[in-house]
Amino acid sequence: MSTNHISISQQRSVSINFKKSFSRILLWIFMLLTALLMVYPIIMAILGSFKTNAEINLGDALLPASIQWSNYRDAWEGANFSRFTLNSLFISATTTIGTLLVASLSGYAVDRFRFLGKSLYVFLQSATLFISIGAVVLRPQFDLMLKIGLNQSLLAIILILIAGHAQTFFILIGFYRSIPKDLDEAALIDGCGYFRLFVQIILPLLAPGLGVAGLFVFRGAWNEYIMPLVFTMSTPSLQPLTVGLANLRYGFAGAAQQTNLMLAGACLSILPILIVYIFANRSFMQMSTGAIKG
Amino acid sequence: MNRKSKIGVAYLFTLPSFLLTIVFAVYPIIWAMRYMFFDYKGYGKPVFAGLNNFTRLFRDDLYWNSVLNTFIYAGGKLLLTIPLSLVLAVILNRALKGRQILRAIYFLPTIFSASVMAVVFYVIFNSYNGVLNKMLLKLHLVASPVDWLGTKYAMLTVIVIASWGALGNYMLMFLAGLQGISNDLYESASLDGAGEWHKFRFITIPMLGPVMQMIVMLAITVSLKGYESIMVLTEGGPIGKTEVMYLYVYRLFFPVSTSSSLEQDFGYGSAVGFVTAVIVGIVTGLYFLMSRRMSKIY
Repeated sequence: MSTNHISISQQRSVSINFKKSFSRILLWIFMLLTALLMVYPIIMAILGSFKTNAEINLGDALLPASIQWSNYRDAWEGANFSRFTLNSLFISATTTIGTLLVASLSGYAVDRFRFLGKSLYVFLQSATLFISIGAVVLRPQFDLMLKIGLNQSLLAIILILIAGHAQTFFILIGFYRSIPKDLDEAALIDGCGYFRLFVQIILPLLAPGLGVAGLFVFRGAWNEYIMPLVFTMSTPSLQPLTVGLANLRYGFAGAAQQTNLMLAGACLSILPILIVYIFANRSFMQMSTGAIKG
Repeated sequence: MNRKSKIGVAYLFTLPSFLLTIVFAVYPIIWAMRYMFFDYKGYGKPVFAGLNNFTRLFRDDLYWNSVLNTFIYAGGKLLLTIPLSLVLAVILNRALKGRQILRAIYFLPTIFSASVMAVVFYVIFNSYNGVLNKMLLKLHLVASPVDWLGTKYAMLTVIVIASWGALGNYMLMFLAGLQGISNDLYESASLDGAGEWHKFRFITIPMLGPVMQMIVMLAITVSLKGYESIMVLTEGGPIGKTEVMYLYVYRLFFPVSTSSSLEQDFGYGSAVGFVTAVIVGIVTGLYFLMSRRMSKIY
């Protein structure tokens, strides 16, 4: 009787164990399948960028038969991607520096001072985050640039990107809160002026925040498409990667679509961000969760 | 330092930000709110038109079609991303081998340009030489190539692509919310004999309430506003099947491609942009009220 009882409970625990490990396997299949779906387009783009056009159009292998570096050479030299990449780099770097400067200055003022109109200013910044009338704003912006003669310059794009600094402002405010205010007072008592205080004491302490926000701004500028498209429609030499690449859909230099060039061009945009992400993915993710913890 | 100069410094530091915001964010909105009452096609003198642009808007079937499409697009994206990202977050919240790497992989799609990825997805989804069709044909899952960007499936394709780009973001936000739930709750529930499902239903979901509300609200506004990848991938086509409201607004101001047939009209476009912003505001407001009422019932 008692032996019988034991064997039943053993059977039961075996079946529970089996059920547990079975659901564990299912869980892993689900997780890995989702992971595969997430990376597949990127892997396809990278591997495809080394194939010949015929291979992409007709073949169905994942790996290229032989590595075609010429795709990158053709994109870089023939399809003007050297110009596009340079434009993208210049726009993103300048926008990052400008945005951080503008947002850290106003962030400091808002965090440390009480002044008339402060709440109106903060309201204005948050309103720009939430209210969007879409592409309408690009028209007056474009006319404005035309009036001051900047419509044929990358500066127009950079200025408008810097103007969209509200998110960076709110991120930096969060970081300012963790810098003790006593520091300012001590420095001021020692006869330090506000500009020296800001540059020599505050900015170095803000460095972690500037790093995370800078990464965020750089990525945003690098990925921007619609605004630069509108501003460079008639000036192809000013186009960034995103715009130059999307134009390849209509074929290149009168020829039909060259998918290998499209993928090589896409990789020129994808790879720099991907490499930074591999080393700094925590900083990328910090931005996203920051929005929730606010 | 005295009070006066302190205030001077505050204004000086805020000035660049304030000026840029006024010139490039506030002025364009005022511009639009003026011209939405004008007949202005970009050339010639703007003529005051009263509410003509708005009466035209209410009879504009193309626009209301794009509004309907936007709701289908946003609804589909929400239905796909919110449950899936919550499930992924719940799984990743447990002690799991390799969860850091999995987390980084799920988040990966969010860092790339929507327009660049639209070009990559074009290579995957197009019917003529698309990678997906080749794969399906090889596995004998379909008999002939499927027109993923055709009238029947274009919207679904666009939703799937948008979800691919957004999933990781919401997963990460859910994960942050989950980490805020105390472990004691789960432990005491376990002692009371609660199973996984019950813990999820009666601890995770209610405790996640406010975070969930924020994520869904963010997801709604982002989905209603997004049109970059649609513009590159389908240009709103075929025959307006993937036309969304902000793409329609864009079309009234700038040409989408050489084949763009819609006439540019800045006065009318301003009115459409304004009404579209109001629609987004109403939807988010309604959601906010509804979710607040729901959380009270809880």
